[in-house]
Amino acid sequence: MNPVVTGIGFITPIGNDRAGTERSLREGRHGFENIQFLGNPDLPVRVAGTVKGFSVDSPNWRDWSWPSQFSVSKETLRGLAPHGLYAVCAVDQALESAGLTDNDVAEDSSTGLYCASAGSAMLLHHNLAQVRAVNGARGNPMGVVSSISGTLNFNLAARYRITGTVCGFVSACASSSHALGYAIDDIRLGRLKRAIVVGAEEMNADSLLPFAHMRALSRQSDPALASRPFDIGRDGFVGAGGATVLIIESPESARARGARAMAVAAGWGQAADGYSVAAPHPEGSGLLLAMRRALADAKVSPESISHVSAHATSTPVGDKAEAVAIGRLFGSLGRKPPVAATKGLTGHGLSMAGSMQAAFCVLSIDGGFIPGNPHLKDPDPECAGLELPRVTLANRPALVLSNSCGFGGSNVCHVLAAPGTIPS
Amino acid sequence: MPDPQRSATNPALAKFPSAVLDAFERYRATGDTDAVHEVVVAVVQDYAPPAAPSAPPLTDDTRLIEDLGYDSVAVAELVFFLEDVFDVTISNEEILSVRTLGQLRACVARKLAAKTSA
Repeated sequence: MNPVVTGIGFITPIGNDRAGTERSLREGRHGFENIQFLGNPDLPVRVAGTVKGFSVDSPNWRDWSWPSQFSVSKETLRGLAPHGLYAVCAVDQALESAGLTDNDVAEDSSTGLYCASAGSAMLLHHNLAQVRAVNGARGNPMGVVSSISGTLNFNLAARYRITGTVCGFVSACASSSHALGYAIDDIRLGRLKRAIVVGAEEMNADSLLPFAHMRALSRQSDPALASRPFDIGRDGFVGAGGATVLIIESPESARARGARAMAVAAGWGQAADGYSVAAPHPEGSGLLLAMRRALADAKVSPESISHVSAHATSTPVGDKAEAVAIGRLFGSLGRKPPVAATKGLTGHGLSMAGSMQAAFCVLSIDGGFIPGNPHLKDPDPECAGLELPRVTLANRPALVLSNSCGFGGSNVCHVLAAPGTIPS
Repeated sequence: MPDPQRSATNPALAKFPSAVLDAFERYRATGDTDAVHEVVVAVVQDYAPPAAPSAPPLTDDTRLIEDLGYDSVAVAELVFFLEDVFDVTISNEEILSVRTLGQLRACVARKLAAKTSA
């Protein structure tokens, strides 16, 4: 039986709750601001997808602040990275939207936790600099659990007292799509009744500048022009921070407690490029296979897909490869599904990207709309053949395909369905 | 509550209540050991899990782990923080011999006395 999505939570550049995020998506409002890293105005990174209402620039948790609607205890904060704070706020929202309390998931061996983040480069750097400054003599006892990959799993497992599955995923920008996929499988296999799927990332100099050194970031200074997936003028991605959470559970579990299914996690697939450490296969070969596998898993045909949520990050090479792959999947069809690249509004949340897109797909299905591509002015002829609406469509998609691609050629695709669309 | 208008002489204590900052400044100015004890008690309370409303007040006999609910990582955090506040070094062997608040206060006092006489 396919799991259903019963809860979602958002701390994103375009909103810190469902209502705000959905409004931004519907209205095509971006979440970008001009930023300056390390006090250096000459750096080529001038725009980012910022998280609003949080102050987490300090490596000391005692200096942090967050919006007053969220309650985070000192005991929880002590082991967190900045993106862990985002994640706690998003998990709290997701549990509430699913009609669950902390007590419902605490020490419940049928609830699992599936996390994705790259860790905290900022805290790792800070903690190791402290250690090196005293020749290794002493260091912050919470340095490891607050900074390394896995910091999300460690902290959220303790905060929510998770006793089912606790695990983390590190496939770069496909990470949280992997987290969602394996959570789906564990529920299908009957190992769990419920899973909390979390993707989160920081947006600061330590997390983002290394991508500028790969020449992967947009050099634009205009927030309205910097992230333009599939546009001929695109010149790289815009980094973003935040956290997005999905609560998925077996249909029986949801039904038994009267929870409303917002969407069905109908199927997923993955395949790799076997091509480059960072660049995608030029023809998007792994992505095409991953999309086909997701459709096969969901037992649906390309014709039945009503919307594609593209990975498209606004890099010249990546968007073209994805356009080729999507074009091949739907190429022979008379009617092509509308494709939305929501990173044009949010920026690229890296490990968070897949869960953010999946949660946006849930909003589309549950809210009855398909986001547009408002920053797209002049479509790249090399991305020709895609149906790219500029404005939001007032259509309720029945079946949505969501793509994620990560370094090393990892490709993960999910099919999300409106409840009742396909047999569960 | 911390006083936002006030800058702490010790940045590590910046978010602590004014009374704790006063105690630290008193220690700095006079070497007052009672003031040191006041700061140590405040830090121990800060790193302890939330106390039940019915919890008895802290005494020198209060045990960090058994009575206050500290675990080994929280003890390590507490020591790391006190080292920063008082600019002392507390070894693993020394902290392993500390079980109660009184023993911790005595340990910090010994370290400060050794620093003064050095």
